[in-house]
Amino acid sequence: MFLHALSRGIIFALQSFWRNVWLSIATIFVIFLTLVSVNFLIAVNVIADSAINVVKERIDVSIYLKPDIQESKIAELKTRLESDSQVKNVVYRSPADNLADFKAKHVNDEKIKETLDSLNGNPMGATLIIKAKNLKDYPVILRTLEDPILNEIIEEKNYDDNQLVIDRINLIASNIKRVILAISIIFIIISILIVFNTVRIAIFTHQNEIAIMKLVGASNWFIRFPFVFESILAGLFACILAMFFIYPLLSFTQGYIGGFFGGADFNIISYFNANFFLIWGAQLLGIIVINAISSSIALSKYLKV
Amino acid sequence: MIHLEKVSKNFQPNVNALSDITLHIDAGEFVSIVGQSGSGKTTIVRLLISEIQPDAGEVEVGGWNITKIKKVQVPLLRRQIGVVFQDFKLLPKKTVFENVAFALQVSGAPRARIQQVVPQVLNIVDLSDKLHRYPQELSGGERQRVAIARALIHRPKVLLADEPTGNLDALNTKDIIELLLKINEFGTTVVMVTHNKEIVNSLKRRVITLDRGLMAGDQRVGKYVI
Ligand SMILES: Nc1ncnc2c1ncn2[C@@H]1O[C@H](COP(=O)(O)OP(=O)(O)OP(=O)(O)O)[C@@H](O)[C@H]1O
Ligand SMILES: [Mg+2]
Repeated sequence: MFLHALSRGIIFALQSFWRNVWLSIATIFVIFLTLVSVNFLIAVNVIADSAINVVKERIDVSIYLKPDIQESKIAELKTRLESDSQVKNVVYRSPADNLADFKAKHVNDEKIKETLDSLNGNPMGATLIIKAKNLKDYPVILRTLEDPILNEIIEEKNYDDNQLVIDRINLIASNIKRVILAISIIFIIISILIVFNTVRIAIFTHQNEIAIMKLVGASNWFIRFPFVFESILAGLFACILAMFFIYPLLSFTQGYIGGFFGGADFNIISYFNANFFLIWGAQLLGIIVINAISSSIALSKYLKV
Repeated sequence: MIHLEKVSKNFQPNVNALSDITLHIDAGEFVSIVGQSGSGKTTIVRLLISEIQPDAGEVEVGGWNITKIKKVQVPLLRRQIGVVFQDFKLLPKKTVFENVAFALQVSGAPRARIQQVVPQVLNIVDLSDKLHRYPQELSGGERQRVAIARALIHRPKVLLADEPTGNLDALNTKDIIELLLKINEFGTTVVMVTHNKEIVNSLKRRVITLDRGLMAGDQRVGKYVI
């Protein structure tokens, strides 16, 4: 009995959808725009976060040690630094590594080559590269390195402060997010109003049917269901349309932002794919809830049962 | 089958659509309700299908006190009472068959049952040969017969007819009255609101007369007296 009623309700909903087809299309279109702007919001969020992560990855403190320091002393310093709770890791680069790097860098510079050849032995010291767990820990780590005892073995410190870049990314991202959020909210409000009106008009076009339904003993939920279902259907269509629109757009965007991330393994499309059910499920659920609520309000206002 | 006990209904403070109406209709009766325009006839019909509630008094249909019926139970009540009106209330874009089937569809009946019952009921009203016509391709009498078939689809105990012949010519009117009598013979209680003096007089059945919301007469074998 219930299943029969349900399938009948779905058929009535489809018929009603068809009867006001232009209105239905307009409704779907507005919900579609809402979803697209919400997806923009998600994409900007993801891209900004990943960009910041990439920049953060590049931040470190390099300590250039004097050339004549014993290996055991360096190892001791390395262990000491590693035991620091703020330090994520410490990478050791031997003098030989550094010399090889330096030579590789200046392979075309005859003068440097000559000078190096004229020296006996390796003029370079070892390097320790420290990565902190958190960006804000770098100042603390730098302060511990100010220790006068350490000063005797450290020749030079180099801290690449990318904080400015991070702040810039944060600022740009939050500005973009604010604009898109505002647009999304406006679209959500328009969607609610449109769904409300669509249902209202659907009720008016079906006035005769509704009156007869009541007369022949259709239950209230049976009369209401097609209208609610119709609005849910519009949400579903809009969601599918948004998917077909967003994915090509993402791959287009990927072409541009891919360069920024360079070697870093970042792909906006794989992010959307990995979180497919979360992203689209939440949107579908959200739009269904919004539509169900606004159509129910319209029904309770205009459908006197 | 139908009991009204001291029923009053006011739409506006000074409009007494019905005042202090008490009446009993037994199962199997054929009752005509007559009275001038605005005397409260349709108001009784609307009370019986719980479209409106009385301001005072009790209403009972088929042993069911519907005075304070719950909203969710109204559909169940309406499946036990068939109603037809002067204006037929058919859906113009549906065929005869579909119009009748509609009443079963909305109560969630399976397709097989619809395919079985609808032709049976349309046979009772003698429309078996016009299943696939649209309402505008039918005469007024035929349209009313479709409405009656739809009202009978749930096998109601009571059939309410509010001026069923109001839009019909003499010939069609006679058809419809004969159909109502036939339905009554099958055991359904029939309550008919009418303005048609000749019909009432020729029926020789019970007649209830209303006058400005008051009971003005209730005769076993009644005459149209206004
Ligand atoms: N919804 C309403 N609001 C206000 N007054 C109403 C309403 N419905 C009916 N009335 C009034 O109640 C009274 C009885 O109306 P009702 O429809 O029962 O009359 P009736 O006997 O069916 O008349 P008719 O023969 O013209 O159909 C009338 O005075 C009418 O104006
Ligand atoms: Mg009337």
